[in-house]
Amino acid sequence: MHYSSKSKLLSGSAIVAGAFLFSAAAMAQDVTVAFSASELGATAYNPVAASKLNTATSLIFDRLVEQDADQSFHPHLATSWEETPDGMAWTFSLLDGVTFHDDTPFNAAAVQFWIASYEGTENEYLVEAIGSVDVIDDLTVRFNMDRPEPNLLYNLASAFMGIPSPTAYAALGDDFGVTAAVGTGPYRLESFEIGLQTVLTRNDDHTWGSDLSENTGPGHIETFTFREIPDQSTAFLELRTGGIELLLGVPTDFLQILQAEQNIEIIQMPGTGISYMPINVTAAPFDDIRVRQATGMAIDQDGIVAAVYNGVGAPARNFLISSLPEANVDPDLNVTYNPTRAGELLDEAGWMMGGDGVRVRDGERLSVDLFTENSTEFTRLTQVVQAQLGEIGMEATITVFDSSTIRDEYRRNAHQLAVRGYDWNNSDILDWFFSGNRLGYPNVSMWEDAEGQRLNDIAMTESATAAERIANFTTYHEYVLSQHLFVPIYQPTQNIAFNSDAITVPDPVRGSRFRGQSFLDIQVAE
Amino acid sequence: MILRYTAQRLLMLIPVSFSTSVVIFMIVYLLPGDPIDNLLRVGSSPEDRAELVAQYGLDRSLVVQYFVWIGNMFQGEFGQAIVLRRPVADLIAQNLPYSLTLGGLAFLFSSTVGMALGTLSAMVRNPVLDRFVRGFILLGSTVPGFWLALLLILFFSVNLGWFPVSGARGWESLVLPVLTIGFGGVALVARVTRVALLDVQREDFVTLLHAKGLSSGAILFRHLMPHALLPVVTILALRIGWILGGAVTVEFVFGRPGLGSLLIRALGQRDYPVVQACLLMLALAVMLGTLIGDVAQAAMDPRIREKKS
Repeated sequence: MHYSSKSKLLSGSAIVAGAFLFSAAAMAQDVTVAFSASELGATAYNPVAASKLNTATSLIFDRLVEQDADQSFHPHLATSWEETPDGMAWTFSLLDGVTFHDDTPFNAAAVQFWIASYEGTENEYLVEAIGSVDVIDDLTVRFNMDRPEPNLLYNLASAFMGIPSPTAYAALGDDFGVTAAVGTGPYRLESFEIGLQTVLTRNDDHTWGSDLSENTGPGHIETFTFREIPDQSTAFLELRTGGIELLLGVPTDFLQILQAEQNIEIIQMPGTGISYMPINVTAAPFDDIRVRQATGMAIDQDGIVAAVYNGVGAPARNFLISSLPEANVDPDLNVTYNPTRAGELLDEAGWMMGGDGVRVRDGERLSVDLFTENSTEFTRLTQVVQAQLGEIGMEATITVFDSSTIRDEYRRNAHQLAVRGYDWNNSDILDWFFSGNRLGYPNVSMWEDAEGQRLNDIAMTESATAAERIANFTTYHEYVLSQHLFVPIYQPTQNIAFNSDAITVPDPVRGSRFRGQSFLDIQVAE
Repeated sequence: MILRYTAQRLLMLIPVSFSTSVVIFMIVYLLPGDPIDNLLRVGSSPEDRAELVAQYGLDRSLVVQYFVWIGNMFQGEFGQAIVLRRPVADLIAQNLPYSLTLGGLAFLFSSTVGMALGTLSAMVRNPVLDRFVRGFILLGSTVPGFWLALLLILFFSVNLGWFPVSGARGWESLVLPVLTIGFGGVALVARVTRVALLDVQREDFVTLLHAKGLSSGAILFRHLMPHALLPVVTILALRIGWILGGAVTVEFVFGRPGLGSLLIRALGQRDYPVVQACLLMLALAVMLGTLIGDVAQAAMDPRIREKKS
């Protein structure tokens, strides 16, 4: 019954259909969700120590702060906060009356314990600027900083900063998040089978939803079952046949087919990453900045959005997602399609158009390697990029690698161009991909530049306030753009599909990602 | 005699196991990439990376790493997954039952249906039936599992709504994966059974049995089957190892946990301890299957144990 097809539903009599619908509504109290492909493989619901977390984590654990789609920060378990002008202390007022699933209280001592528990874990970097935590009173804590950290609120809103019960965390040790996971979130962990499914049941005591949810009380749905379905085609068929009610992370390729289904609705949220083409500045002919600039001008981002993604998503013009303030750079530095100018630049660089449509210089053809990863996400995009490079006389040969092997190729400096993507909604991604300290991978552009590193260091460590950080990262971003180290291509959307016969889902979705705050507003369909 | 033969075969497994362990260990390390990239976060420094490499002992020589690994294996210690962050033994314990159930049922299905089809094709002198069975055998031997899986899902789950598309909840979720894996096995077993029975049927003693007036059923079950079973048992024993490893793509398409799914995930992340443990389990299963096949053959045919002992 759970997996009966839609056609069966339509073929029944009115009475039978009515009864079925009633039963489907009742069944929807148990809503089944499929994780997106990028979320598969979490092995523990432990925000402090896990290397990978999924959406269900955000239903088990609340955070001090939430981040909205416009990147603004909103109170949650912290009702307010204050930063000293020098950025060396942050004081947080905590929400009263909050309890963990094990009935222990959430208070300043719990926050103090929680921050200390990051020591020695790989997630320690999230709190490394915090020198100590003072308990001012039961509902007030002060973070004494070793250095100003204007990125603190961003870190606190991360899924890796869900707050666990100190009692359960201490008692369970390494088993925390595996055999049990105790937070203050709207759902409790009922069962967790690694690689298969996670069952969450409603926390009826939860009355402290953030202002990103319409519903601040307990969730409307009794049970959420999160399933891991590795094959995206299978997940898509599960949604069509009623095996799941909600599919997180629908590939853009499936959108058109899903849109044709009467009982399936799709919600699109702004994406949190971009697809781009890094250029290896140490590999000829890309050691010539004119060739790099011409390569950028060969890529028709608008055409790609229309042809490859059916108009879903947006063209990328620089390295950051457009909702970040640091993406607002000097418009002249944004990368735009201009094949005529690209041709002129290549002519200037000595690469003249040959008879067969491939440019030549000193008898050498303009032939380059174009690497990509073996995912459906990039295959078609890379083929279109190859064709567009061909339009300006650059012959690109595509080689496809798995994600581990391609990193090795980057480290061996065996690449010239690559099509890849990242998912990160903070401007410090610039440091990750362009710092001279990480040549090969993640600095796929192999870019080492004294001025670039100076601007990087200022942005990363010398910003005292959020406004200063934005200004510093914008300057660094503009310098990176001026060096033509990559070609921005596409800003994907986050796509969520659901069975509208079974549930309703808030639209538009608040928050930077579809997680706990949105699940609180999911209801059984009338 | 059979005990001596079994002991000899067991002793031979020692050098085979050793060579297998070296190959498994080397294969994993010769692959490009390493697990540390999967542990790094935006903001991790090169020093963080070096620290993690040292923490997991990946900076030591391959020889040292091999002996540490094999030493731990002898003590039943599979180690800790680097990326998946759980004891490898726990991960295997969680996934193995799914693989054994799926593989075991597929084995049972392919053995019984394959032998029945092969026998039918060999014994019933009906050209239409024979062509049908031979066509089925050809199809079963050549159709890729992942493609068959998608066809079965489309027909039985999407169109008819009889079985769930994916998952591992209840017996319903086992039907399509068992059919998918079993289909290839059915073809193989049917082909071997058919050929073996046809060969035995040409023997002089079968003509004599017919001349003595024995019924066809009695000839088949009492006299033909014991002879024909010899190659069939060998094929079935070799498929024991395949029970664990043969379901990789099928587990993926049907979204089922299992050793194959675990191996694929760990391989993608270069999670060395998990890949090594999974490969070792699969290799041991193949060795065990071969051993069972050899011993079964020897038990059924005294000539084999006399020749080999």
